[in-house]
Amino acid sequence: MKVSQIAGFLGSGKTSALMKIASRLVEQGNRIAIIVNDVGEISIDSRFVEANGLEAKEISGGCICCQIAGSFAETLAKLHDSFNPNIVIVEPSGVAIPWGLKRAAEYSEVKADMIVEHAPVITLVDASRIDMLLKAVRRLVETQIREADVCFVNKVDVATPQGIATTEEFIRSINERAEIAHMSTTTGEGIDLACEVIVNRISPRYDDSMEEERLRSQYGKKGGN
Amino acid sequence: MNHMERAMAALTNEPVDHLPAYPIACGVNRNLLPGNVTYHEWCTNPKLFADAFVAGHKYYDFDFAIGLMDLSVMAGDLGAHVRMDEENTPFVDKHIIHSVEDYEKLEVPDIKKGRSGVILEGTKIFAEKLKGEVITAGFLEGPLLALTQTAGAERVFMDMFTNPSAVHAGLKTMTDYDAQMVEAFGKTGANGLCWDYLWANYSCLGDKEYHEFEGSDKYAAKLNRMTVENGMALCIHNCADMPHLDTQVKEFKPVIYSMAYYPLIPGSPSASEVIEKGYADNCLIGGNIDPQFFIRATPEKISKVTQDLCQEVKTALCKRGLNSRYCVASGCEVPPDIGTKKENIKAVVDTTKKYGVVKC
Repeated sequence: MKVSQIAGFLGSGKTSALMKIASRLVEQGNRIAIIVNDVGEISIDSRFVEANGLEAKEISGGCICCQIAGSFAETLAKLHDSFNPNIVIVEPSGVAIPWGLKRAAEYSEVKADMIVEHAPVITLVDASRIDMLLKAVRRLVETQIREADVCFVNKVDVATPQGIATTEEFIRSINERAEIAHMSTTTGEGIDLACEVIVNRISPRYDDSMEEERLRSQYGKKGGN
Repeated sequence: MNHMERAMAALTNEPVDHLPAYPIACGVNRNLLPGNVTYHEWCTNPKLFADAFVAGHKYYDFDFAIGLMDLSVMAGDLGAHVRMDEENTPFVDKHIIHSVEDYEKLEVPDIKKGRSGVILEGTKIFAEKLKGEVITAGFLEGPLLALTQTAGAERVFMDMFTNPSAVHAGLKTMTDYDAQMVEAFGKTGANGLCWDYLWANYSCLGDKEYHEFEGSDKYAAKLNRMTVENGMALCIHNCADMPHLDTQVKEFKPVIYSMAYYPLIPGSPSASEVIEKGYADNCLIGGNIDPQFFIRATPEKISKVTQDLCQEVKTALCKRGLNSRYCVASGCEVPPDIGTKKENIKAVVDTTKKYGVVKC
């Protein structure tokens, strides 16, 4: 079962993007479940879920990485046993740490007969209000960008060229290795790319990365003997 | 040394026979009670809550007992809906702040009722039963944590910028609630009170924001002072990836500071870094085994992790000229999951006894 994270702060357009992406993935023949953590102003519409043959769960009250890791793992295991999706898209709380979520997802392997693999971590950054976000929640936005594999500059249809440029520059200053792309759920720009990233690419497991880090700190090298 | 002697020595930087050990095993201890006690029963029944800590101490030979329940106690008693499965950690699934005005509407509940009452009564029972055997402490959510649990973290973080006065109104109520809880914990007989100030985390808030929304004398500093005035030692637990160590250790001056470590996150402080930078000079640091090892690792693997941690800590203590001042613990609560392996908890304690001997 593949777990895909679509991160971003409140108002970044996560929920709309997630619904577009899920819908497209279902059209492509995937079996999709959605887990939303710490729901914001917009919940996943139950009619949308039903119409697309999805399964959706909400889990709230704290960060998936730590306080409710057990409940998250239980939810993943139950989804596997009851619905058996090939992809679970997680919309984490804006305060969740992507590595922590990976760890919690792998924890579900003790609860169901499955192996978890991860899609690259996607972070959405709202280019239409980047200045406000950098003033209000700069550290949280930085943390999400720092741990992203692919950053989508979102709402490019309404953002100014200056806002888009500032957002790209900010992302690059935090995370040089992240791929940067544009997204608009209004025009559909970036949705196919997001689906391709989720379906065809892999991000490292927490366990493997921890082992590599342990070896690095013990022997000063990556992996190996 | 017995548990009290070892813990007191470590708290005062005296030599110890071996480092103290306390994997933060709380809800998981229910599995030691007769009758297949569920998590739901454990966290709603003060006697079962207390009996589990007593059973955990006897079975695992812990050096401390800290009465953590979960982080939805205060939010639940304030009116947020808490989803309480039979075997999972309860969590808030319906917040009660939906507008800026709602912060003003929060009211301190009757702390004798709800799960606030359960945790107070349960702490009193286990503090009495373990008196003289181990250091005991109650556990309480700090005002900002309680508010984010009640309102949703993202909302609170945005409102800090867009509607700070509303957030302060909410924090005032949470602080009043905490103040009543401090006075009540002071009557339980617990030796200390452990605060969860989760948001003192550089991944979320800088020093200025943390000071404004929790660290100041209106909130945490006031509650820390009250803790001591009510006869309890000040303890802090913070499982953040990048904790505000200067504020929480050097400024708040707790006697125990429990912390996690995230090796994959640049800047997350390791045990040796914390000791080398002086944070253990006047405070017993507890940490930092990954809680999920208790479920997923083999006893051999977690023993090796514990042995490595002991070696790292001993080297750093000696380098710093310290005798003790480190407790081998989990970075956060040992998962209260039914899949958590008892032998892994036992392995951490037993390995610390064997490899935690500090000889500089």
